[in-house]
Amino acid sequence: MQVFSTPKTIKENSSFTFCPGCDHGVALKLVAMVLDELNLQEQTIAVASSGCSVLLYDFLDVDCIESPHGRACAVATGIKRAHKAQGNNKFVFTYQGDGDFASIGISESLHSALRGENITAICINNTNYGMTGGQMGPTSTLGQITSTSPLGRNKEYHGFPIKTAEHIALCDGASFSARVALYDVKNIINAKNTIKKAFEYQKEGLGFSFVEILSSCPTNWKLSPQDSHKKIEEELSKTYKLGIFKDIKNE
Amino acid sequence: MSEKQLLKGNIAIAKAALNCGCSCYFGYPITPQTEIGEFLSLEMQERNLAYVCAESEIGAINMALGAASTGAKVMTSSSSCAVSLMQEALSYACSDELPIVLVNVMRAGPGQGYIFPSQGDYNQSTIGGGNGDYKIIVLSPSNVQECIELTYKAFYLAQKYRNPVILLADGLLGQMAEPAKLFDNPYPNIDNTSWILNGSNGRKSRSIHSLEPSQLKLNQHIFNLHKKYQAIEQNEVDYEEYLCDDADIIITSFGSLARHSKAVCNHYREKGIKMGLFRPKTLYPFPYKRLNELSKKTKLFIDIEMNLGQMLRDVRLSILSNAQVSFIGKPVGDWLKKEELINAIDNIAKEQYASI
Amino acid sequence: MNKSFIISGSGGQGVISIGQILANIFMLSNKFVSFCPCYGAEMRGGAVNCEINTSDSELLCLQNEKVDFVIALNQASFDKFLSKVKENGTIIVNSSLAKINKTRNDIKYIFAPITQEAIKLGNIKMTNSIALGILSKLIGELSIDNIKKAYERILKNKTELIQKNIEAYLFGFNSI
Repeated sequence: MQVFSTPKTIKENSSFTFCPGCDHGVALKLVAMVLDELNLQEQTIAVASSGCSVLLYDFLDVDCIESPHGRACAVATGIKRAHKAQGNNKFVFTYQGDGDFASIGISESLHSALRGENITAICINNTNYGMTGGQMGPTSTLGQITSTSPLGRNKEYHGFPIKTAEHIALCDGASFSARVALYDVKNIINAKNTIKKAFEYQKEGLGFSFVEILSSCPTNWKLSPQDSHKKIEEELSKTYKLGIFKDIKNE
Repeated sequence: MSEKQLLKGNIAIAKAALNCGCSCYFGYPITPQTEIGEFLSLEMQERNLAYVCAESEIGAINMALGAASTGAKVMTSSSSCAVSLMQEALSYACSDELPIVLVNVMRAGPGQGYIFPSQGDYNQSTIGGGNGDYKIIVLSPSNVQECIELTYKAFYLAQKYRNPVILLADGLLGQMAEPAKLFDNPYPNIDNTSWILNGSNGRKSRSIHSLEPSQLKLNQHIFNLHKKYQAIEQNEVDYEEYLCDDADIIITSFGSLARHSKAVCNHYREKGIKMGLFRPKTLYPFPYKRLNELSKKTKLFIDIEMNLGQMLRDVRLSILSNAQVSFIGKPVGDWLKKEELINAIDNIAKEQYASI
Repeated sequence: MNKSFIISGSGGQGVISIGQILANIFMLSNKFVSFCPCYGAEMRGGAVNCEINTSDSELLCLQNEKVDFVIALNQASFDKFLSKVKENGTIIVNSSLAKINKTRNDIKYIFAPITQEAIKLGNIKMTNSIALGILSKLIGELSIDNIKKAYERILKNKTELIQKNIEAYLFGFNSI
């Protein structure tokens, strides 16, 4: 029998404030588990962003700074480099939504990857702006109905969505770029291993590592948690293919 | 202490920053301040310090925000229209209480304007373009020696009050050269070990954030910031007074333009007219109190700026109805020359005093 | 002694360099001095100028309506800055690149074929130092030691170049 306990890096007595059925909780728990396993808790500075991911510091028991919307990778760059200039090697990662990372912050995100900043970015892709009530975002799929694309995302009218992990993979400074999902146990285990790999690449000083996590948003998708996961398995993971798009060790 | 060198304002600022331990610089090129980043690029790389050619001013100021959270001495520099891009992060830095030194070498605006000098960012700096109740300390050098002195002071005040500080220079001062001494930083280092983010090793984890869902707590936080600003206003007001004690007319003027204003004072003093100069060195906190005292015994104030009357608002708020306030200004370009100012003042004075 | 100078010409004529050297000379003579260059996009247009002011007391006027001395190294600068010369002031004009033409009778004109002289000395790049030599003769009271030191500050350890420039400077100095 396996006994599950709360990871050390999750704050005691904290309760997630995410919507019921949202995958943020699972993703955060995986991040915490990996920080535990790699013994990183006490040398980590996490960068939270705007959106559903903003309350990171309420849950994770690590040093944490909140970044202006979209600027998490720039803030992380400053933290990592400032510590390096003082002779310290700290572990720095961002935890952002897809709107934060790939829309308002795409400049900061891409340039951090291009410069090969030795940081890790975790991007929760739930294909909409969740916190403000489900508006069309950069990752909303063609045909997706949101509060600002009530007739469905239309390529002629709204334009195309972005495949973030593939874009990051094109950056020479990126060491690792992958997309994972959390719709079943097998995928959750894979997601954890992938996050671990991304964190290890930073530890090894290989450059920018990136994990995009396809994540459910039952509230705004107006689906049950089960149907949300089914949607990810059957639809989203066809548009946003799961897998590793760049691995500097396999080149 | 080194001997005098002929130093450009921009280079003086960069050298002073290095001299007082600035370990992080993030920037994006814009005339007329680009030499700061150019000079620091080699110097900082050779010292293994943090230097990033940022993708934008938004990137630069947010890198500064992150770096400041580690307790490092952090600087970014830019000019006018690009400082506009930094307003969001400055508001965050105030709420987060992060010490960042921002050098704004003012150029002409509004919009793209042009590269020639101006003092058009007085309002942007002292009032700010960011959201919420916040204040940024603003220092105004008038010569290259003061560029050095006030860069040291900017780093010190930023650390002392955990608040952004703007060093507000102008294109003329940034580009001009004059003899200056690169003396040692006179200020002590401030202990920051109680708040910096360096990993929770052996202590409780910390967070730095401006989001606060509790009304009560958010109000308390802003009241606390306000108390800090009151302390700044109490302790840090700085100004130069030149022949103000017996003056019938006082010119108010800031930055390098105040030197032309001083030349004007000398001109009138030689003619037996009692004129003085009042030059704020801190634009925030503004020396309201001292200017108010002076206004009780001086009949006429003439505010001179290279803009259309931005500091004028603070001058009027100091003087209230105690004395007359006139204004001479020009938005951008060549500084108002001594002769132009004398002509303008003769006209103002004629209206005020038949005897001149 | 309060004196003001404008040095002007086209890009590549060493306008900024002799401006800085002149400012250094004044600094080394324990004078207050300011050096204000035109900058940025203006420079790419080909026209370059700088204004130098010196004073025995705190230097206050960084930019003046009119100045005591103008050096104009080409026709465009001659045209542009003639009106900036004070009454009884002096303009030094490079007659190799500007027409000899006296339209004001309240100032002193010095026309010298500076570019041709530089070519005769073996290096067209010495134009600026010859002009500075001429200017120095008119100002007087500058010590040759400080002039050498000023060149060393600007040209660092390029010994041969410093020597050549000082020769050109002295040529200019002795030419009037």
